[in-house]
Amino acid sequence: MLQVEDLYAGYGASEVLTGTTLSVKKGTLVALIGANGAGKTTTMRAISGGLKPSKGKVVLDGKEVQGLDASRIARLGLAHSPEGRKVFGPLSVEDNLLLGAYSRLPRFFGFHAKAQADLDRVYDLFPKLKERHKQAAGTLSGGEQQMLAIGRALMARPKVMLLDEPSMGLAPVIVQEVFRTIRRLKEEGITLLLVEQFAKSALEVADYAYVMERGRIAVEGTPAELSRNERVIAAYLG
Amino acid sequence: MNPSIIGQMAVSGALMGLVYALIAYGFQLTYATSKSINFGQGELVMISAFFSLTLTNLGLPYWAMVPGGLLFGAVMGLVVERAGVRLALEQKSEGWILLTIIIGLFFFSTAENIWGRDDRPFPTPISADPIHIFGVDVTRLELAVAVGVLGIMGLIELFKRRTLLGKAFEAVSADRDAAELMGISATRTVMLSYGLSGAVAALAGILVSPITTVGPTMASAIILKAFSVAVVAGLDSGFGVVLIGMFLGALESLSSFYLGSGWREAPGLILLILALAVRPTGVFGKAVIRKV
Repeated sequence: MLQVEDLYAGYGASEVLTGTTLSVKKGTLVALIGANGAGKTTTMRAISGGLKPSKGKVVLDGKEVQGLDASRIARLGLAHSPEGRKVFGPLSVEDNLLLGAYSRLPRFFGFHAKAQADLDRVYDLFPKLKERHKQAAGTLSGGEQQMLAIGRALMARPKVMLLDEPSMGLAPVIVQEVFRTIRRLKEEGITLLLVEQFAKSALEVADYAYVMERGRIAVEGTPAELSRNERVIAAYLG
Repeated sequence: MNPSIIGQMAVSGALMGLVYALIAYGFQLTYATSKSINFGQGELVMISAFFSLTLTNLGLPYWAMVPGGLLFGAVMGLVVERAGVRLALEQKSEGWILLTIIIGLFFFSTAENIWGRDDRPFPTPISADPIHIFGVDVTRLELAVAVGVLGIMGLIELFKRRTLLGKAFEAVSADRDAAELMGISATRTVMLSYGLSGAVAALAGILVSPITTVGPTMASAIILKAFSVAVVAGLDSGFGVVLIGMFLGALESLSSFYLGSGWREAPGLILLILALAVRPTGVFGKAVIRKV
């Protein structure tokens, strides 16, 4: 469903990605782990169009999308829940969710009714969001904002969902809740690419995983294989 | 001092101040989406007023001329965005400041060449006869200014809150990159904001012209005060510009009455300097807090 081939990208003159290759099959959860600065978030941004790759290919559902605007890639079925959550602070929780489905909804009237089923589904997954649907998103707690960011990405009914550091800055209890949610998304058959610093938890939920080092994939395999790999154990699971 | 004269001066000044508020609101619209404003907005007001005058002279009735004038303003706003703003923003440069000033100058000389340098009257079916409300005389023209300004601002605010496109507008204002991830085109949203800002400027021109007459320099004083209002009120509060605009309008009409008409421009400039010294984010502006 998503293939990344020999991707190069960076900021100005400094290349962060130096030939990243990975692929995410339909209905699977793939984890991307690695040390800080290895290029995980840069990979995500280069896939979703926030950063233009200087070389390489990104193929979404059979269509090459590298170099397109982020909004265009989103309309083609990629939902990216970014690092740091990036909810629209001044807007209400419900408006945030509605905007998640922006590309499918009428622009002026009747959008709420058309999105109702998706709203119900997200509220069912995150009852807290329903309680606070009128509240400004910026006033939510970190964990709630993360739920909102995931819910907003779900509203798009994406072909592939990118989830960048969903546990960042959250209390351990909330992190567990986030991972329960990820497991549930997986059960629903959503195709997911997950970037996580908690490598152990990520490997527990993933079907397949890539370990990134200095801008490219160093090791890949199923979680079981990686858990036996001594290099991986020493660096990330120890 | 006669309190009824003070009241009279304050009220008609405040109603004129709404024109400053409307132009300042136009600045807010583009600043919200792109952190840029059109420094040639005064010329956009002027050229839209001339265009509307031409429509009237061609025999178009007032109520058909107004939408035509607004459409012209919107198109000119898009021209400014395309020619002066987009390229600069794409390169993360501040070049839009100079470019928008240059486009303004271009509008100015175009207007001089097409319509000449003389000030001309702007016909309107709305009468200038005063009506007596709460002890002060208000002309229908002044009331039309108030209705027009508050009406269009109300409509745009309603659009932002009630339609999905309007919410997308707010989303781009809040976080451009995140909005792009939702499939919202930031480029188009910036275009929309410049179109709206141009339409709003054109309405300001149409509303103020019957009072000030139309000429190439008609907006040069108005635009300075609109800038003052935008800076004093802050660049993100629509309610703030209305309040500050009316306050400034009242203040300047009182000072020109009591101190002499030479002092007319003084209050705006003093307010501007005070605001920049004491509260640079504006009275109603939000201080930007950066999380580290």
